[in-house]
Amino acid sequence: MRGFAGRIWRERGGRTGVLLVALVLFIALILPFATPDPNKIDVPARFLPPSLHHPLGTDNLGRDLLARVTVGTRSALWIACVVIALSMAGGLALGVIAALSGRLVDRLVTGFCDIVSAFPSYILVFSLVALYGAGLGKLVVAIALAFLPQFARITRSQALTLRHRPFIESARLMGLPATTIIRRHVLPNIVGPVIVLASMNIPSVITTEAAMSFIGLGVQPPQTSLGTLIRDGYVFLDQSWWPIIGAVAVLAIATLGCTLLGEALRDVVDPKLRREP
Amino acid sequence: MPDPLAIEVAGVTVDFTGMRALDGVSLAVPTAGCFGIVGESGSGKSTLLRTILGLQGPTRGEVRIEGVLQPHRRDFRAQARLVQPIFQDPALSLSPRRRVGQSLDEVGEALGEPRDALRARLGGVFERLGLQMPVLDRYPHQISGGQARRVAIARALLFQPRVLIADEPTAGLDVSVQGDLLNLLQEIRAATGVTLLIVSHNLAVIRLIADRVAVMQGGHIVEEGDSRSVFDAPRSDYTRTLIASWPRGQPVEATG
Ligand SMILES: Nc1ncnc2c1ncn2[C@@H]1O[C@H](COP(=O)(O)OP(=O)(O)O)[C@@H](O)[C@H]1O
Ligand SMILES: [Mg+2]
Repeated sequence: MRGFAGRIWRERGGRTGVLLVALVLFIALILPFATPDPNKIDVPARFLPPSLHHPLGTDNLGRDLLARVTVGTRSALWIACVVIALSMAGGLALGVIAALSGRLVDRLVTGFCDIVSAFPSYILVFSLVALYGAGLGKLVVAIALAFLPQFARITRSQALTLRHRPFIESARLMGLPATTIIRRHVLPNIVGPVIVLASMNIPSVITTEAAMSFIGLGVQPPQTSLGTLIRDGYVFLDQSWWPIIGAVAVLAIATLGCTLLGEALRDVVDPKLRREP
Repeated sequence: MPDPLAIEVAGVTVDFTGMRALDGVSLAVPTAGCFGIVGESGSGKSTLLRTILGLQGPTRGEVRIEGVLQPHRRDFRAQARLVQPIFQDPALSLSPRRRVGQSLDEVGEALGEPRDALRARLGGVFERLGLQMPVLDRYPHQISGGQARRVAIARALLFQPRVLIADEPTAGLDVSVQGDLLNLLQEIRAATGVTLLIVSHNLAVIRLIADRVAVMQGGHIVEEGDSRSVFDAPRSDYTRTLIASWPRGQPVEATG
């Protein structure tokens, strides 16, 4: 693991990625212990510029913006992790089933993935939320669905190449149950690229959630996420531009950091996954 | 009623997209002998073995092992005790992420045999194959190619199968090691009464080990018979050319 971490550190952009992600994690996980109540209203102190007392200033209700950014970041990361976990689990299951269950099932799964990914992810998420209503749970499921086909595809192609590897065929000819073969011999040999894909997708998931929350279709107040913070700031942009800055900066840092880290991870785990220009 | 044949292949055709790899192949492998299949690269030997094992579904025709119809792509549980493969590159038939001992323990899992009982049998098999117990704690990449080959054979033998199927078992081996391996397979056959089905593009190998031979060309079996008569008095022109193109006493492997 030491060698692995070292290789990421030495990879181009890897170091920056690690530092930026560490900063975001610090904001989301550690900083909340040091900041005041993010919901404490103090109207006379509204729209304060940054100061020692309020490092990022205050919003339209005089709430401490740093505190609000930390909880917003935490919920944005938490949502992204849940979404990615759902997409990954669903994609792994569908991909393995498609690869190993014969032609008809493979056609069905591939067709499903083609249809889902024919829509740009924003449009798909937007339509699903418009159809089934706003709210955190539905948003999470909708984004997870939009990102699922990539996981299903990469799992399927990995499993298809594994299928004829002699150690898999040996295991089959030994009469081991299919579930054992999948769990013990197939999955451990495909998780690498799948995890890389997951890390590369985290930035898009964060921005998708932020965009949906920004237009009011995702996280609902009083819950906060980066998207709701940016919207709140945007509404009062003519009165103060401080409320929007912190959330936008964290969003930028988070997406940049995750992208750099994901790319470094990809280059270390499997350089072949790099898309040729 | 006569003993069933070890393997009976009846009119098997295998089509891949755009090409026919096997074209109406029929074959009868008698019990307890060593049956050799020889043919140049691309003649369909591996496809035939994969069809017999049930890894490849035939477009037409059927395969019986010990009289039991090959259940392609269904449950291999019952078949595992009848037939086991030794793949061309045995090291690749061991999971790269599992210790050799873990791979061998899977035999007990497949047979429903307790681990202790399996390990007890393993001692005898390892002794016969000249393997040492410490390899159990190694990963496949930590043991030599020769050891991996023996481990793969050990795993197959632990099933006490009726038939062993080996695809190019001597590929990539030095001449002296080739001889050792063929002797080992013969010893195993003599000791266990297992039927051997061995495929090679190497005429010398088949000549050395097989008592019956089939010659394949372009997805067909062009000649089948007693080893001596096929090699000493070939009936087909193709077999004659094949024998003529293979210098006597030179069992060195080319790649393929
Ligand atoms: N899975 C496959 N898909 C398509 N063609 C194949 C496949 N397997 C084998 N073939 C083709 O079938 C022919 C016979 O191959 P094979 O059985 O491997 O021959 P051999 O083992 O005698 O060298 C070759 O032309 C090969 O390219
Ligand atoms: Mg072959």
